[in-house]
Amino acid sequence: MTTTAAEVPYLDISHTDFAMASEAVRDARDAHWYARTNYGIAVLAYADVSTLMKSPRMIQGSAKWPQHHGVHDGLFHDWWARNLLVLEGEDHHRIRRLANPAFSPRKIKALGHRFDELAEELIDQWIDDGEVEFVEGFAAPFATRVLCIMLGIDEDEWPIINRLASTVGAALGVNIKQEIEEIDAALEELHRYADKLISDRQQNPKDDFVTRLVDANRDGDSLSDAQLQNLLVLLIFGGMDTTRNQLGLAMQSFIRQPHQWELLASRPAELAEAAVEESLRVNPTTRWVTREVAEAFEHKDLKFQPGDTVHMFTYASGTDPEVFSDPTRINLEAERKPHYAFGGGVHHCLGHFVARSDMQAALPALAARITNLRVVDGGDEWMPDSGNTGPVRLRIAFDKRDNTSQNQG
Amino acid sequence: MKIWVDRNICDNHGQCAIAAPDNFTMDDDGVLQYKEDFSDDELEYIEDAIDVCPVQAIFLKGEQ
Repeated sequence: MTTTAAEVPYLDISHTDFAMASEAVRDARDAHWYARTNYGIAVLAYADVSTLMKSPRMIQGSAKWPQHHGVHDGLFHDWWARNLLVLEGEDHHRIRRLANPAFSPRKIKALGHRFDELAEELIDQWIDDGEVEFVEGFAAPFATRVLCIMLGIDEDEWPIINRLASTVGAALGVNIKQEIEEIDAALEELHRYADKLISDRQQNPKDDFVTRLVDANRDGDSLSDAQLQNLLVLLIFGGMDTTRNQLGLAMQSFIRQPHQWELLASRPAELAEAAVEESLRVNPTTRWVTREVAEAFEHKDLKFQPGDTVHMFTYASGTDPEVFSDPTRINLEAERKPHYAFGGGVHHCLGHFVARSDMQAALPALAARITNLRVVDGGDEWMPDSGNTGPVRLRIAFDKRDNTSQNQG
Repeated sequence: MKIWVDRNICDNHGQCAIAAPDNFTMDDDGVLQYKEDFSDDELEYIEDAIDVCPVQAIFLKGEQ
């Protein structure tokens, strides 16, 4: 079967009004498995995202991001070129092999009680106020202090890490060229943090995450100091904004579905995992994952050529009615197929067990203590609903749950 | 003991083939192929593969 260009929907993904969670994108997906865009092909349907996300004929698509935006040298440019996100083949696999054991779900689970305590401590700070700016009052400190816990950085230093990571995070925005001086300066500071941690654990090994990376060894091969530094910075870079944004998006979704929030509050241990997975499925912070075709191949009616840019649309695939019933709604009691909010294939998110584990602490802790959630009029402001999204501000009004005093003793 | 992958859960991400390439491979279609039997010195990397599987589809089955 051949499809004429006219039957394939077109999405202008750089238009200021473009939104992923929109009828335009859902209509495009329901019309055809992919859309053309002004910047590559957008894969929309669940089955095709699932296949192509893991295709051995594609590589990760953002290796040349800095160059494409006019940044040809400097600290960020050099760091990006060597980071795990853009490495391919054996260079990628070797580092992944050495790093993976530190991210083992069993090791991460052992930190669960620290994440629980952190959530309670943050909620305590505003529980009596009746409202909270959720990003500042919970999502940002939670996401950053989880990283501090993981890396063994003093949690009091979280505002510094938060500032540095946010600044470096701007490198993924289209204004990277204008902001590159600040980005490079922040990255240099993060490098210093990383170097200090690495040399400290080399001299004083502990039973912790950084020591496991420092000690990682396979058949005599281990990570060099430069590779350790690059990886620790990647962890901060990739772990903070994403978790902060995802927590805000989860709250946005649950505010729309108070019945599901109450369900989570009534069966927190049982439904924590579903709460996180459903939030990621219907409202992922990573709205697309980009690939580049490495080797020519055909998929259905489309021929892919080397160098083609292909975006996997996570929101569109996660809400595909072919696979999910009542697709855009959270249903904590439904059996769901896996979503691709953490990407997939060899580049599957390295830190996903950490993200899942910390959000599985955060959401039930919040549900246990606050109810009747409302977004305060004019209290929310959002990043564009495209690449990586989330709330800039999200002021939530709430009632303290009646049983709070009993639970808290 | 033998390696057993629950094909209902396996999503062919291929992380196991990175962790333990002697035991797990991805074929040209991107589908996991694996050998059930393994030697003692391969166990460490198979355990890495079990841990790293994003959907936790890999198990060790059998005596002891």
